[in-house]
Amino acid sequence: MSPSAAIAEPGTRLVEQFQAGLDAPICLTWELTYACNLACVHCLSSSGRRDPRELSTAECLGVIDELELMQVFYVNIGGGEPTVRRDFWEIVDYATGHHVGVKFSTNGSRITAAVAQRLAASDYVDVQISLDGATPEVNDPVRGPGSYDTAIKAMRNLAEAGFRGFKLSVVMTRTNVDQLDAFKAIADNYQAQLRITRLRPSGRGADVWDELHPTAVQQRILYDWLVAHGEQVLTGDSFFHLAGYGEPLPGLNLCGAGRVVCLIDPIGDVYACPFAIHDAFLAGNVRQPGGFTAVWRESELFRSLRAPQTGGICHSCQHFDSCRGGCMAAKFFTGLPLDGPDPECVLGHGEAALARRDAGAMPRPGSDHSRVLPAKACDESPLTILPSGQPDPLIRIERLIEDGQRLV
Amino acid sequence: MLDHAVHTPPVTAAAQDSAAPERALPDPPNGQQPTLAEDQLLVEDDLLIEDVSIDGMCGVY
Amino acid sequence: MTEIAPTSQFDLDRAWTVDPRVALRPESFGALAYHFGTRRLSFLKSRTLLCVVQQLGEHATGRDACRAAAVPDVELATYQAALARLAATGMICERDPR
Repeated sequence: MSPSAAIAEPGTRLVEQFQAGLDAPICLTWELTYACNLACVHCLSSSGRRDPRELSTAECLGVIDELELMQVFYVNIGGGEPTVRRDFWEIVDYATGHHVGVKFSTNGSRITAAVAQRLAASDYVDVQISLDGATPEVNDPVRGPGSYDTAIKAMRNLAEAGFRGFKLSVVMTRTNVDQLDAFKAIADNYQAQLRITRLRPSGRGADVWDELHPTAVQQRILYDWLVAHGEQVLTGDSFFHLAGYGEPLPGLNLCGAGRVVCLIDPIGDVYACPFAIHDAFLAGNVRQPGGFTAVWRESELFRSLRAPQTGGICHSCQHFDSCRGGCMAAKFFTGLPLDGPDPECVLGHGEAALARRDAGAMPRPGSDHSRVLPAKACDESPLTILPSGQPDPLIRIERLIEDGQRLV
Repeated sequence: MLDHAVHTPPVTAAAQDSAAPERALPDPPNGQQPTLAEDQLLVEDDLLIEDVSIDGMCGVY
Repeated sequence: MTEIAPTSQFDLDRAWTVDPRVALRPESFGALAYHFGTRRLSFLKSRTLLCVVQQLGEHATGRDACRAAAVPDVELATYQAALARLAATGMICERDPR
């Protein structure tokens, strides 16, 4: 038992216990690889190229041994595209054979009929298919040509294999907010459960956030839709920053980062959450003495996150109890102070803060494993190169639409 | 291994079927479940139990 | 899929057990219970309640388990309500009393 764990008074709310942190995560995100066959414009982990320092199979199984001892209930496995790892099934089976449930997030490219059968037959493994448009016209500019078809095919395979209740996970953007009903219909059609989550300015998301994050009007539409659909739709509690519109949405309305959840990245780095891959939110590495357990229980970063948070200038707002000042990753990567409003504050305080900030001094994503575009810049088709050295992703979107070019 | 905790080894599909008619993985919630507000009323009465979905905390995929 | 039954129907004089799909994790404040089937997470706010739940499968009735966990008579109704909630969410289920 950690020194910080107090004995709860009867009636102590779960949220208060969670904010102080637990001796083990409840669940966590584990990015198995930075390799990916896609190059989504908003990728929160800036994935594409495998990192040569990736955890070995043995190291991965060692992490699972630790998670079992800590009684972590569940890992959400992602990446990159986790199924491109050759030891993917070995890792999944080892986890489920050692009391650790698995949900893995995939673009669907390896969910063949045979794989779907295997998944449908195994307990304790859940699947989450990523899709960001209810039509290819909306989806493919974000996720790449053919990616819509790939996802739908995976869903069809899962449905035909009798796998009910897998997740269809959508990141809400300016281009897909008017497709909420259509997403629900797709999920219903394949007997899946719809999950919608917030776009964060994380990873490559930083480069497209200004253009892709929902407008204030769209946020309201989104909130109203979520209220109308209650617990049928999952959100990963990612919309608690919208609580100021009215009743809080289902969920804890709590930032779990470093308190009840965290991220383990492909090279064993432990971050507060998958939306915060940056040195400022790096707690340690599983390869350190004491492994993941020591990082979770003793890192300076997590200690500070588990200390009482004042909420800064948001504290006096009437909505603070449910909004909690919003998402620290959203604030950090838009260059806003962590003790101020969320960039999408429903009262507009975030917009005001964005207008005041020094837009030239914004943090860059911590690690960039993006693949460089194969095409060369030329007079007829110039590629704007951003300060990071990466091509401008908005130009990439336009080229995808115009040329039907496939990123390899 | 913490022997004061109840651990559940993964159940094969066959064993699962004999233990309970439903599969282990969840069906989408049906319309007959109470709303969150009703759940909260029950919780306040109990004081000893509070429920949340595992998808109900922010910071995971 | 488990239906949510009204709490008044919980019978302390039947035999109960923790559902095999549930993982129970002791915490300083009581325990966390996670159901792999429903993905529901329950927060048990008392170590005594955890004791009761852990012992359910070993006793002929829920009432016996409460007694074995030293639940004061005056608090029995509160624990009954908590057990009812756990039953309603599928965390605990009836078993053959043998």
